[in-house]
Amino acid sequence: MSKFLNLDRESKAQRQLQKRSVFLFLLVSLLGIVTLFQIVKLTILDSILYTTLSDENRIISVPIYPSRGLIKLSNDEIVVENIVSQALTMVPAKTLDIEKTLRELRVDLVIDEEQLLAFEERIINKPSRYERVVIVENLSPEQIARFSVEKDKWPGLSIEARLMRFNLLGHLFSHVLGYVGQINPEEIEDSEDFSYPLSFLIGKTGVEKTYEEDMRGGVGYKTIEVDVNGKEIRELDRVVPNKGSDVYLSLDKELQKLARKELAGRKGAVVALNPNTGFIKALVSSPDFNPNILNKTESGDIETIFNDLDSPLFNRAISGNYPPASTIKPFIGLLGLKEGEIDWNTTIEDEGFFQLNEDGRKYRGWKEDGHGKVNLSKSIIVSSDVFFYQLAAQLTVDRIAAFLKQFGFGLKTGVDLYAEVEGILPDRKWKLGAIGESWFVGDTLNIGIGQGYISCTPLQLAVAISSIATRGKIYKPKVVAKIGEEHIEKELIFEISSINQTDWSKLENSMVSVISDWRGTAYNLAEIAENKIAGKTGTAQIKSLTDEELTVREEYEDVRQEESNRDHALFVGYGPIPEPELTVVVIVENGESGSAVAAPIAQKLIDNYLRRKKLNVR
Amino acid sequence: MSGKAPLDYQLNTSFGSKRDTLSKVLIDPILVFSLLSVLVFGLFVLFSANGQLTSMVFRQSIYIVIGLLLMFFISRLDQSVYKSFLMHLFWIGLILLIWVLLFPAEGYKTDRWVDLGFISFQPSEVLRLLLPLAAASYLTRSQRRPSVKDWCIVLSAILVSSFLIYLQPDLGTSLIVLASGCIPVFLAGFSLLAIFILIALILISSPFLWANLTPYMQQRVITLFNPESDLLGAGWNISQSKTAIGSGGFMGKGYLSGTQSQLDFIPESHSDFIFSVIGEEFGFLGIILLFLVYGIILYRVFKIAFNSSTEFSRLTVSTIGFIFLIYILINVSMTVGTLPVVGLPLPLISQGGTSILIHLVAFGFVLSMKKRETW
Repeated sequence: MSKFLNLDRESKAQRQLQKRSVFLFLLVSLLGIVTLFQIVKLTILDSILYTTLSDENRIISVPIYPSRGLIKLSNDEIVVENIVSQALTMVPAKTLDIEKTLRELRVDLVIDEEQLLAFEERIINKPSRYERVVIVENLSPEQIARFSVEKDKWPGLSIEARLMRFNLLGHLFSHVLGYVGQINPEEIEDSEDFSYPLSFLIGKTGVEKTYEEDMRGGVGYKTIEVDVNGKEIRELDRVVPNKGSDVYLSLDKELQKLARKELAGRKGAVVALNPNTGFIKALVSSPDFNPNILNKTESGDIETIFNDLDSPLFNRAISGNYPPASTIKPFIGLLGLKEGEIDWNTTIEDEGFFQLNEDGRKYRGWKEDGHGKVNLSKSIIVSSDVFFYQLAAQLTVDRIAAFLKQFGFGLKTGVDLYAEVEGILPDRKWKLGAIGESWFVGDTLNIGIGQGYISCTPLQLAVAISSIATRGKIYKPKVVAKIGEEHIEKELIFEISSINQTDWSKLENSMVSVISDWRGTAYNLAEIAENKIAGKTGTAQIKSLTDEELTVREEYEDVRQEESNRDHALFVGYGPIPEPELTVVVIVENGESGSAVAAPIAQKLIDNYLRRKKLNVR
Repeated sequence: MSGKAPLDYQLNTSFGSKRDTLSKVLIDPILVFSLLSVLVFGLFVLFSANGQLTSMVFRQSIYIVIGLLLMFFISRLDQSVYKSFLMHLFWIGLILLIWVLLFPAEGYKTDRWVDLGFISFQPSEVLRLLLPLAAASYLTRSQRRPSVKDWCIVLSAILVSSFLIYLQPDLGTSLIVLASGCIPVFLAGFSLLAIFILIALILISSPFLWANLTPYMQQRVITLFNPESDLLGAGWNISQSKTAIGSGGFMGKGYLSGTQSQLDFIPESHSDFIFSVIGEEFGFLGIILLFLVYGIILYRVFKIAFNSSTEFSRLTVSTIGFIFLIYILINVSMTVGTLPVVGLPLPLISQGGTSILIHLVAFGFVLSMKKRETW
């Protein structure tokens, strides 16, 4: 009975659901019919009207990009400017047969095949076929003339003037200034506050990259009316873009020129900076390159630059890792004084080698017979290895690493250039991680003479040495002194206060004697020097000499047959004394002699700088 | 219930085993293939609407695959498994709604999103489908006719949800949630007299409601009636969208060749206004073909609904059918300018993971209720 009732209720409910569904469907259909009629009206009855509207629908907003800020010297001389280049561009959607067009271009406009192939590659990765793409840059006047004659053949093509980057001094500042290139997808994604178009040129290295945001400025817009072919008919509105700021270098062109000339194409680097401010006056890495080839404002083969085995793009001054060699000795000496392990009178007998215990390994100095009785001052002047072996052994690696870190070893200097490396400041933990071995005393001895695991960049050395000139003040090195109207202030990043004034000046005196004392390793400078400078030579071994049967000299004779095995020549110095204005670090790869090869370059740079300064004052 | 096997089943057995296994796996092959064809078509339209970027299409495809897997999983379930559970899902939707009001997600302009870290979505979008399903299952939870108390509970749930969405503020979605919630109520046999009284009440209070709308919402309604009055302002969307569809003509401008869509004249061309891209590039013919496939889907859904065995399944499936129909209609109508712009995606085509997932889950329920029938 109840089951029957239930069934009855269910079929009743079912009928009600169907009735109501039909009712609801009819109700909804009313709107459906209205909408369907509207669709018919739009697409069939009024289609012509809307087609016209669509064709006339050409009020579009176009971004206006400001011209990129220039790079200048402090005397307002322009180093990098923008030049107008005529580029052939294409809107893929308006080009019926792209392959055929490219074939025609090759013949009619004499565009070489490689450029066209590069373009085809670019066009494959394009997200929108309606965006204009550059086929080739820098059309010659002849190519432009040929194009204008036949342009009706190619409705999707047009010539557009683009601003390109031209470096007026070419090679001279190549590593500092860097170059620009077409933005890549990752760079587009990374920039949040600025929407770059696809063909935008963006700084890739050097100052062009570091100061990208300052130089590119802010984008503007214009609202324009265009015809069916996308040609501008009239402008309706315009928001002017903010021009990018000009960037002023702290670099000294003459000094840079001289440093580059002195390196004479040998592999190496020169860094010159004002120790009292950190502003860099010269930064040369050799070999260098022509940035305009990469900027595409001068013809030349980019691949050759990239594939050159001497890596001209590599900025040795900030990315090159070199053993500091004997230039580390002043710092080890300072630590010895600070820790009380030695004083200025502590004397040892340098017999040409050092042994940890009586029958242990002999750690040899560079001079076979040794330097006789040496104290700290003499050890710096004659560059005694034995003295610093012993001192390092007494100091232990923990204290050495902690102290050297204060001078910036093992840390980036924070210079306003990309791709800086931090070098290696080894300690027990580092060796366990990087080499997988525990620390040996022998490793400490090697640090004592700047060999072994320790390495640093020429810029790091310059910053460290400058702190002797400033009695412990370390400034952040910078290549840009002014952005737009805004001067950049010097930046004190660390101050070493644990060394007393007497020790600083006695150390400086020893370093002056490196040049002025007849026993000094850089006594050869005394002849040419116009100004009194403090310095330290260094000769960095590439290959360790361990054959105890031969003398160091004999063994090296064998090693130097291979040029790439020859020692690196180093010199660090600053002058004039007593009021230093310029620190110079010179590294000549495989230059063999710090005193004969590297030191004269530094002296000449300091003399040149001061000579011109005096002239200007007058 | 009669002992006779349903007609479908009798037909299937006579067509050999191949068709048999196909309908066993897919349950309703015609429905499933129609859904798949709309989804695939949608991906192509999305590619065109997104400035031919594959990344968006890829992301949408992932949602589609997840949605299809969910759909097939749910279609395997027996309705008794989820019947009681379905109405409680409403609480989840409600909690999320309150959540967005209390903790608006960062990064979006309006406070309509919930950000769970790995996924962010609009709870109002979830509620659009959850609410009617929950209402349908609540109204049919017992054999008896819904009592007055039942009606009151369902109606207040609907009112509370749409009011919370109105607070976001999102008037369009709030009205849509209200309407979707009322569908199962109406279908379940809510008293006609009460309906008339309610409508009369709304008409009387409408001037008061209008005064309470924010200027932004008033503007939206005004624009509907005269979009051309404000060409560069609020009417821009509608007039550009109409131009796109109208210029498509009978045959359309061709795939990827719509100037309106490719030159970015249509705002939101990948989401709410994707129908204009279809109109511009595929023309009247394309629109009719799309409607045809949508029609097949609806036909199959209602067929399943009316042949269904329980009151719960009949009400739920027909509710899903109506919601699908109404959402298509509202989206198309707002795109061609016969309804205000309310921000509703075109089912199965517009970009948006939540919408795709929810619709496919709903079709999963539809399929699972047909399956009971063939056994």
